[in-house]
Amino acid sequence: MIGKHPITIRWSDGRPCPSAMKQRLAIAIALIGLLVGGVQAKDRVMTAADDPVLQAMRTELDRSKSALKLEGMAAPYYIDYRVIDMDAYAAEAAFGALRNEVHARFRFLRVVVRVGDYKQDSFFGQGQGAMDFMPLDNDVVALRHQIWLATDNAYKAATEALTAKQAQLKQYNVDQPVDDFARAEPVVSIGPFAKLDFDTQPWSKMLQDASALYKSDPQIESFDSSLNFAAVNRYFVTSEGTVVRSGQTVYDLRIAGTTQAADGMKLDRSHGYSVTNTKELPSEGTLLADTTKLLATLKQLRDAPIADEEYRGPVLFSAHAASSVFSDLVGDNVLGLKPDLGQPARTKGAYTASYKTRVLPDFLSIVDDPTLVSVNGRSLMGKYDVDDEGVRAMPVPVIENGKLVNYLMGREPIRDFPTSNGHGRARLPQNYPGPSLGNFVVHASETSSPEELKKKLIDLCRQHELPYGYYVETLGPQRTPRLLYKVWAKDGHQELVRGAMFDDLDARALRSDLVAAGNDVNVENLPLNIPHSIVNPSILVDELEVKRANANKDKLPEYPAPAVAAR
Amino acid sequence: MKKLFRNSAAVVCVLVILLKPSLNSRASAAETAKNDALTSGMQRELQRAQSDLGKLDPAPYFISYSVYDQTSAMALGSQGSLISSVHTRRRSANVIVRVGTPALDNTHEENRSSALSSGSLPLNDDSDAIAHVLWQLTYGEYRKASQAYLNVKTKTQVHAQEEDTSPDFSRETPQSHAGYNDDAPEPDRLVFEDLARRYSAYLRKYPYIYSSNVVLTAQRTQFHFVSSEGSHVVTTGALVRLAIEADTWADDGMELMRVETFQAESADHLPAEAEVSARMEKMASDLKALRAAPVAEPFDGPALLSGRASAVFFHEVLGHRLEGHRQRGEQEGQTFTKKINQQVLPEFLSVTDDPTLRTLNGRDLGGWYEYDDEGMPASRVEVIKDGILKNFLLSRMPIKNFANSNGHGRSQAGLMVTGRQGNLIVSSSRTTKDSELRQKLIDEIKKQGKPYGLYFEDIQGGFTLTQRAMPQAFQVLPVLVWRVYPDGRPDELVRGVDIVGTPLAAMNRILLTGDKPEVFNGICGAESGSVPVSAVAPAMVFSEIEVQKRAHSLNRPPILAPPGFDANGGRP
Repeated sequence: MIGKHPITIRWSDGRPCPSAMKQRLAIAIALIGLLVGGVQAKDRVMTAADDPVLQAMRTELDRSKSALKLEGMAAPYYIDYRVIDMDAYAAEAAFGALRNEVHARFRFLRVVVRVGDYKQDSFFGQGQGAMDFMPLDNDVVALRHQIWLATDNAYKAATEALTAKQAQLKQYNVDQPVDDFARAEPVVSIGPFAKLDFDTQPWSKMLQDASALYKSDPQIESFDSSLNFAAVNRYFVTSEGTVVRSGQTVYDLRIAGTTQAADGMKLDRSHGYSVTNTKELPSEGTLLADTTKLLATLKQLRDAPIADEEYRGPVLFSAHAASSVFSDLVGDNVLGLKPDLGQPARTKGAYTASYKTRVLPDFLSIVDDPTLVSVNGRSLMGKYDVDDEGVRAMPVPVIENGKLVNYLMGREPIRDFPTSNGHGRARLPQNYPGPSLGNFVVHASETSSPEELKKKLIDLCRQHELPYGYYVETLGPQRTPRLLYKVWAKDGHQELVRGAMFDDLDARALRSDLVAAGNDVNVENLPLNIPHSIVNPSILVDELEVKRANANKDKLPEYPAPAVAAR
Repeated sequence: MKKLFRNSAAVVCVLVILLKPSLNSRASAAETAKNDALTSGMQRELQRAQSDLGKLDPAPYFISYSVYDQTSAMALGSQGSLISSVHTRRRSANVIVRVGTPALDNTHEENRSSALSSGSLPLNDDSDAIAHVLWQLTYGEYRKASQAYLNVKTKTQVHAQEEDTSPDFSRETPQSHAGYNDDAPEPDRLVFEDLARRYSAYLRKYPYIYSSNVVLTAQRTQFHFVSSEGSHVVTTGALVRLAIEADTWADDGMELMRVETFQAESADHLPAEAEVSARMEKMASDLKALRAAPVAEPFDGPALLSGRASAVFFHEVLGHRLEGHRQRGEQEGQTFTKKINQQVLPEFLSVTDDPTLRTLNGRDLGGWYEYDDEGMPASRVEVIKDGILKNFLLSRMPIKNFANSNGHGRSQAGLMVTGRQGNLIVSSSRTTKDSELRQKLIDEIKKQGKPYGLYFEDIQGGFTLTQRAMPQAFQVLPVLVWRVYPDGRPDELVRGVDIVGTPLAAMNRILLTGDKPEVFNGICGAESGSVPVSAVAPAMVFSEIEVQKRAHSLNRPPILAPPGFDANGGRP
C-alpha cells in the first residue's frame, strides 16, 4: 500500500511539497483496495432539502457562482462538485485463517471548475479538478470548508490550465475543431441511500472455511479467499442546475489457488461472485462446493498434458470465456474517447476509423443499456439512472448487424458525436468521468444450442482434416486460457490441456472469423473501477492460432509444504 | 562500486514530525510465561527450513523469522469533524536467509535486500496456516538469497578489493527474552475519534488558518523473533502520537505552517486538553504574526538555536553520519569513518545514543526500545566523548574495527535493518543559564560587528545528504525565526529561511550551550524505513549559521472568505 521505497522525500525544494493532507488522501485511496475499521454511518435524513452534504454543496456552489473571480481573469462558466461516500468492508483468508480485515468509511470530494466556454475550456492538465477528503460528520460548515478550499484551488488551476492549453494548441493545425464540453439538460434526481447489509461474522467464517479446503491437496502452494463489500453513495451538483444523489452496493467474493505441475509449470485458478445484493451471494454450501470443484481442476490441470506446440483451427468459447473477449476487444474500443490534443483521429482505440463499417459478423448486435435491471434473474452491476456527469442513462445501440453505429459518450465530444449519451462515469475520486461501459449486451440473431456448436466445431475440424479442435471454458488475465480442452474429432471426447495461449485473438479475428453464436447467455458483473456488466452468448471462431505458452517452469519448492494437523 | 542501497536517494533522512503511523515501537515489562502459539509455530517452521534447506548447496548459514503483530488506529479531524478513522490489525512477517559465510554472504554491498522477504501472516494462531505462509516466504527467500550469493561471489572476484574488508555479518550471543506485556494499551478508536473532533474544533475560529487538521495515531506492536542461532525474543510496546497542523499563506504566496506533536507510550501520557489548547492558541498567534512578518534575507552570522532546534540539528547533521553502514558504503561520504579518536566537536560536547532511556524529565522518549530488530539488546553507546569520536551506531553489519552490534539495528516491518538512532542525547560542560543565552548571542553579534543575529525558536524538521555524489550538505527547516538586534530593539519575527551548511564546519561553530535539555520526538525515515526516534539537546549559541531563502509557491490567499466568515456575500 504505502510504497516500500525506504526514503521519504518530503521536501524536494525546501518547501513541504506534498501537503500532509494530500499524502493522507493518497494513503486513504490506497486503502480502498483493502478497506476497514471505520465509523458507522449514522442514519441520515433522506430528503434533498435536509441532506447536509447536498446543503453544503449547494451553498458553496451558489457562493462560487456569484463571486468566484480573480481580478482581470475570466470567471468560471461551469462548476461541479462530486462527493463520493464510500463504506467498505474487505477481508482475506489464506490457508484457512483470516489474514486481513478492514472496515472503512471515507468521503471524497472532487471539484471541477471550467474557465472559457463550451467550445474551448480549461479542462486540461491541472485544470481537471481538485480533490480532497470530506468530513464524515454532517457538520455543514466543516463540509463547506473543504469545498471552499478545493474550489479555490480548482479555479486558480483552471485559469492557468486554459492558457497552457491554448499555447499548446497553437502548435497544431486542427481541421475539424470539436467542442471541449457538451451542453446537457439539467437533471434533478434524488435516489435512496445505499447501505451495506451483512454481518461480518458469518462471512469471515465462510472465507476461512473455503480457504481451509486447501488441506485436501498437499500440493496446493497458495490458497486464499477474499471479499470486498462496498456501499457507494454519490452526490453531484453543477452550476447548470443538476442535483443528483445515487447509491449502489457491490458485493464481491472470490477464491484463488495456485499449484505447480511436476515439470514446474505454475498453474492458477480463481473463481468470483460479483453481485449487487447479498441475496445473490452464494450460500456456504455453494461456496464450498465451488471451492472443491476449483481445487479439483487445479489437480486435473497438474496432471494434464501440455498443449501442442502449434495449432491453427476452430476454437469454441463458452459464454463465460467469450465475456472477456467481448469486453476487451469490443467494449474497450467503442468508448468515444477524445484523442490527445492536436491528434486528428476520431477516438482512441482499434475502432477509431471503423464508424459505420462492419466490425463483427452481421448476426451480432450490441446495445449498452444502463437502464436494464437484470437478465435471467441476475441483477446487473452496470445499472444506473443518471451518469456521473449528470446525464440520464439511455440504451445506446453500439453495433447493429455487425456494423459500428455509435460510440459510448460522456460530455467530452468527438467528431460527429457532439453530445453525451449518458455514459460518462467515474467511480473513484482520482478519476474524472469518461465514457464507460454500463450493461454491455451482445445479441445474436442466429443462434445454435451448445450441442450444435460443439458439433459445428467437430465439423470444422473434419473439413480442415484436424484431429481435434479447442474448447475454452474459462479465460484468465490477458485472455490466457485457464480451462482449455481438446475436443477430438473422431469421437467428440474432451481432454484438458495446460500451457496454451492465443496468438491472434484480436478485433480482426472477431470481424472475419467469428462464425456462430450460442443461444446461451452469460452474465458477468465486473465491479472493478467502474461497475459494469457484460451479457453475451458463447461463440465459435473458425480459425485461431493456439500455441504453447512460453510459461516459466519454476522450480518446485525446495522442501515440502508443512504437514497439516489431522482434521 | 555500486551503491550500498539500491534505492537510496541522495536524501537520507527526513525527520518527519507530521504524522505517519510509526511502524515499530515496542516495550516489555512483566515477563510472563505464556503459551505463545505464534512463536512456537515460528520455531517449528524455522527448524524444518533449517534442516531441509541445510541439505542444499549453497546452504543457508542463518535464518530468522520476525513477526510484527500490530494493532493500529488513526483518527483524522478537521474543523471539528472527523475526516477519517481507520483501525487495523496486521501481522507482518520478515523472513531472513543468509547464504555463504558470515565473512561473505548474499547481503554484500548492494545485495543487502536479497536477505529479506516479507508478507502477511494470519491474524489468529492457526498453526497450519502460519506454517504454510512461512514456508512459502522461506523457499522464495532462499531462491533470492542463493541467486544473490552467486552474483556476490563473482563480483568480489572481478572487482578490486574493497577498502573495508569486514565480514558481512557479526557473530553474536543468542538472546532470549519473553517481553509479553499484556498491559501495553490497545489503541482505543472511539477515544481517538472524540479527540480528533474536539481538538480540531479549536482551530475553526481563525479565518486566516485556511486548513488545519488533527491526527491521532496509535500502534501497539508485539515483536516475535526467532533465529537459527537459537535466539528467541518477544517484546511488546505501544506508541501514541497527536499531531496538529495549521496552514496559512502570506500575501506573497508563501506557505506558512505550524505543527505541534505530542508523543507518548499511551494516550493518558499525552498532555491534558488545557495544555494542548494553549499550544493551539500559540500556533494560531504564531501564524498570524508570521503572515505579517517580513521575509528574511540570506544571512551568515551568530545564532541561537533553541533546545528542540539544536536536537533536530544534531539528529540530521551528526546522528545520521554515525550510522554504521554509512562507514562502509563505497558511495557514502564517510564524513567520520576515519576520525575515530579525533576531535569532531568542541571539547565541551558529548553525545550518546541511549535507546534504554525510557523517559527524560517526565517525558516519554520515542527512541526507547529494549531489543532491536535483529533481536539484539539495546545499549547506551557513547559516540562522542568530550568532542572526540569514539563509536558508531551499529547493527550486525560489522565495520572496520567494530566487529559487533551495539543494538542499533532498526527497521520498519518489511525492510532490511541498518544502524539507526534511538535517543540521541547531546550533553555539554560549557553551559550558561538559559535566561542568559540571549545576552551571550548579543555579545557575539557585537563582537563580530554584525547588524543582527538569529534566534531559531522552533523547527519543523530537516534532511541531510550523505552520499559522495552529492554535496555533504544538510538543511534544517525552521518555522519560527527571530532577528535579535544588539542595540536594544525588540526581537523581530521573520519568515522564509532554511538553515544550510556542511557538517564539519557547522558543528565547530558552537560556542556554548544552555543548561536545560529539550526533547524532540519524531519519526525518522531512511533506507530501513520509518522508526520513532528522539533527539535531546540544550539550546546552543553558534558563532556562525548560514540561512538561505526558502522556495515557496506564489498562491494567492483564497478568493472567497471561509465558510462561517462570509457574511458579506462571500468576499473577504
